[in-house]
Amino acid sequence: MSDPVAEKVIATLASVKRIPADTIQLDTNLQDLGIDSLDVFSMVFELENAFQISIPDDDVRSIKTVNDVVEGIRKLLAAAPTGASPNSAPTPAS
Amino acid sequence: MPPRRVAVTGIGIISPLGSTLQENWDALSHGRSAIGPIQSVDCSKLRFQNGAEVCGFEPAKHFPGGKEDQLDRFAQFSVVAAREALRDSGIELTPALRENCAIICGSAVGGQAAIEKGFEDLWVLGRGRVHPLTIPKTMANAGASHISMDLGLSGPTYTVSTACSSANHAMGQAFRMVRSGDVEMAVTGGSEAFFTIGMLRSWEAMRVVAPDTCRPFSKDRRGMILGEGGAMLILEPFEAARARGAKIYGEICGFGMTSDAHHLTQPTVEGPSRAMRAALRDAGLAPEEIGYINAHGTGTPGNDPVESRAIRAVFGAQADKVGVSSTKSLHGHALGAAGALEAVATLLAIRNGVLPPTANYLGRDPECDLDYIPNEPRVAKVGAALSNSFAFGGLNAVLAFRAIA
Repeated sequence: MSDPVAEKVIATLASVKRIPADTIQLDTNLQDLGIDSLDVFSMVFELENAFQISIPDDDVRSIKTVNDVVEGIRKLLAAAPTGASPNSAPTPAS
Repeated sequence: MPPRRVAVTGIGIISPLGSTLQENWDALSHGRSAIGPIQSVDCSKLRFQNGAEVCGFEPAKHFPGGKEDQLDRFAQFSVVAAREALRDSGIELTPALRENCAIICGSAVGGQAAIEKGFEDLWVLGRGRVHPLTIPKTMANAGASHISMDLGLSGPTYTVSTACSSANHAMGQAFRMVRSGDVEMAVTGGSEAFFTIGMLRSWEAMRVVAPDTCRPFSKDRRGMILGEGGAMLILEPFEAARARGAKIYGEICGFGMTSDAHHLTQPTVEGPSRAMRAALRDAGLAPEEIGYINAHGTGTPGNDPVESRAIRAVFGAQADKVGVSSTKSLHGHALGAAGALEAVATLLAIRNGVLPPTANYLGRDPECDLDYIPNEPRVAKVGAALSNSFAFGGLNAVLAFRAIA
């Protein structure tokens, strides 16, 4: 896969659930990965750190599949003013 | 319904002495102390470097699939100890029993480690936000709640937080609920895990932690040694336990609690002695029937002489015939879990006829004049025992145990 956003999302999900990344596809349902509401909080927290973005509560409620997450993040990255990129490392805020 | 006898039929324990009951008993019955240099936190700049840590605990083995992230270490100890206690009891959980089982846990500081990490992120690392599970991991009832969810037990469930008396208060409540017929079974004990730099610094500031080791009641004692761990007991009506042919470790037969109404950190003789008397009265035991006291015995200059005088006040001349030891010299002081670790020590002592010693004892302190079972375990047949817990805030909780004849 050469999509850095999708790769990072899948790596984050794999890390939260301690499962191999290659078991996660774009069309995988989050529920099928055993991701419950608490895991969603952790996942969103890690994604916000990884992409240096802030994910609105409403967006969190509407995600069902891995692809929903990837597309949602793509939109937030596109709307982000500066500094946010798929490869930006988490850095301490001032 | 007349009061029922209450049997302890299952034990689960994770302590610095080991992660199985057998490992714990081996250490207790040989007087082998787990106190050593603290590994999990850099203590090089503290006034103390020694503690009693749980070693080799692997959360992922017990909580796979990332579930470990949802529980602070103290709650992980709670659940693992409760699972083992239930397995050990061999009790068969029916739907009715699941609804009639209480879970009452003690913890002094709950998930302080989780919130300390959150505050470190916020204020030290400048991350501007904390992990979203900080609150559910920090809440002191997390241990009890996770036991309930993990084991599918849906009766009265709560956490008692009375500093170092937490576990004794919790087990005392559970004992009374089973005795009265409020519930048909209880999972009860305590857990604690607070080895973080913030908590250790806070204890350092109180100037009660020894720079060397824990020497309860001994001359040249210099304070307590902090510990961690968790222990859970399964309580059920004695007759029910007998009827199903269960292994019975012993009975909890009395509980006494008092408040000093005096001082946040300075104990009195009266408060603890009234609590011991209340436990004896509740159990219907005379002082001369008690053959062993698992003392609160922190090893601080303040506690030990006062506790010794309190024991003498209750037992009179009999005080010289009672074996008194502090197993905190072996497993450290696990705060809200201390009473649970010590209940296990007391139950096994009266069941196996070996009294665990007070380790690291150097010699007599004129202010501590009882028989502290110094350094060497003692073979003794004991019919009944007390286990003392006295908390900061002046809250005293004493449990009475009886051996199965």
